[in-house]
Amino acid sequence: MSPALRAQGVTVELGERRVLDDVSFEVARGEFACLCGPNGGGKTTFLKAALGLVPLAAGSIEVLGARPGASANAVGYLPQAKAFNPTFPARVVDVIVANRRGAWPVRVGAADRERARAALARVGGERLLDAVLRGLSGGEMQRAYLARALVNEPALLLLDEPTAGVDARGRGEFLDLLSGVAAREDVAAVLVTHNAAAVRRLAHRVVYLDARVMAWGTPAEVLDREWDRAAFSGHDHDAPPAPLCEDE
Amino acid sequence: MGEILDALLAPLGQGFVRRALYAGLALGAAGSLLGVFIVQRGLGLLSDGLAHATFGGLALGLLLGATVDRAMWVALPFTVAIALGIQHVRRRTTLGGDVATGVFFAVSFAAGILFLGLRSARSAPVNVEGLLFGSLLAVSPESLAVIVGVAALVIVVLAWVGPRLAYATFDPELAALSGVPVAALEYLLLALTALVVVVGVKTVGVVLVSAFVVIPAATASLLGRTLGTIALVAVGLSLFGTAFGLFASYHLNVATGATIILTLGATFFLALVLRRR
Repeated sequence: MSPALRAQGVTVELGERRVLDDVSFEVARGEFACLCGPNGGGKTTFLKAALGLVPLAAGSIEVLGARPGASANAVGYLPQAKAFNPTFPARVVDVIVANRRGAWPVRVGAADRERARAALARVGGERLLDAVLRGLSGGEMQRAYLARALVNEPALLLLDEPTAGVDARGRGEFLDLLSGVAAREDVAAVLVTHNAAAVRRLAHRVVYLDARVMAWGTPAEVLDREWDRAAFSGHDHDAPPAPLCEDE
Repeated sequence: MGEILDALLAPLGQGFVRRALYAGLALGAAGSLLGVFIVQRGLGLLSDGLAHATFGGLALGLLLGATVDRAMWVALPFTVAIALGIQHVRRRTTLGGDVATGVFFAVSFAAGILFLGLRSARSAPVNVEGLLFGSLLAVSPESLAVIVGVAALVIVVLAWVGPRLAYATFDPELAALSGVPVAALEYLLLALTALVVVVGVKTVGVVLVSAFVVIPAATASLLGRTLGTIALVAVGLSLFGTAFGLFASYHLNVATGATIILTLGATFFLALVLRRR
């Protein structure tokens, strides 16, 4: 069986800038991988390339054995920036059902409503079903979007800094939710995070990305290793920042 | 009661009033449905800009020797091209939709004035005021057929693509991930708006046509919580405003287009008050 995600020599250029340079790694089915790295290191760009939203200058990405974007319903995506139109009349139930249908629901039927409720129940957010999206707090918004990502029972989750903008208690609760996701053998996940606690708790593997793959291994191998400074010369950093991920 | 109703509806005994009613209702239904998307995208000035661009298209038709009625066939592709140009600038540059609209609107309107000036001195005189303010009661059977045809086309297309267009209006990136052809639908929305605006200019004029698109949808957005509700309320308000304004203008012997728009405006301000409560 093909891996959940396979990147080979991925290079992405945005304007004059090479954001990703010859990036290669794999995420096996059922594996939970964390993408760490400095701001501007290409983590979000990599997720967008895996979703088919950003063109590759070179290399290839295989998502569940297909090209990026080909198996949209099998991939759940939780974006970092919630760039929705704030004036749009959106309720949480509409957002979740839209991801099921691939179209905005002019009317939400009983079956769709029940599926949206069940997805919200998985993230402890049932009470949000009819809430207006723009009125949600940061933590509620993340729950709503995680439910949206889960509603199609995806085989791969791409989660871009889901605890950004969430308070400490909310972060802990959200990590509990992700821990439940990580425990499932049928779901692979790639989590972009700066949070070392999240990496240690959730990740089977860590990729440290700073335009190139600078480190790759288990959390212990990546986070606790004595780094050879020479390995990082010639890139943006003379040496990896210590620690590679930070406790928030 | 029956006598009062008969008296109020008496104008329907005349063919030109029936044509005006049918044209207004068709235009109102299509315009308000389009308006739901236009308003949600913050493109309220777009229809106004396209209406002024229509003036350029009509003037070009007149320069080419067409009558005012036939000039619509030049104005249709002209205004659709302007709409697609505005969308192209929006997508390919960092300029906002209002800036792109402002540039195209000014250029088209200026070109229209130039086209009218270039017409031969022997050409039939043109009632510019008629172009600017329209004449719903003067809709010919031929124009009515075009208006109803365009309205039916717009409603059918929106019924087909509306849910995907709405998803793209909510969040273009998430919609694209679900396979929605976001860019194509945005071009389609502007092209449909151009069609409605061109035929609308014939009925209520350049100055007032955008109100048909914007006001019912804006009013409904104040009152509705879901997109389906907003669309239904927008169409309902538009049909009511058109019929009420037409009959009121007839009995009060005042300008029809302006009365319809003022009726729609009254519903907007009433909604503002109701919403505050």
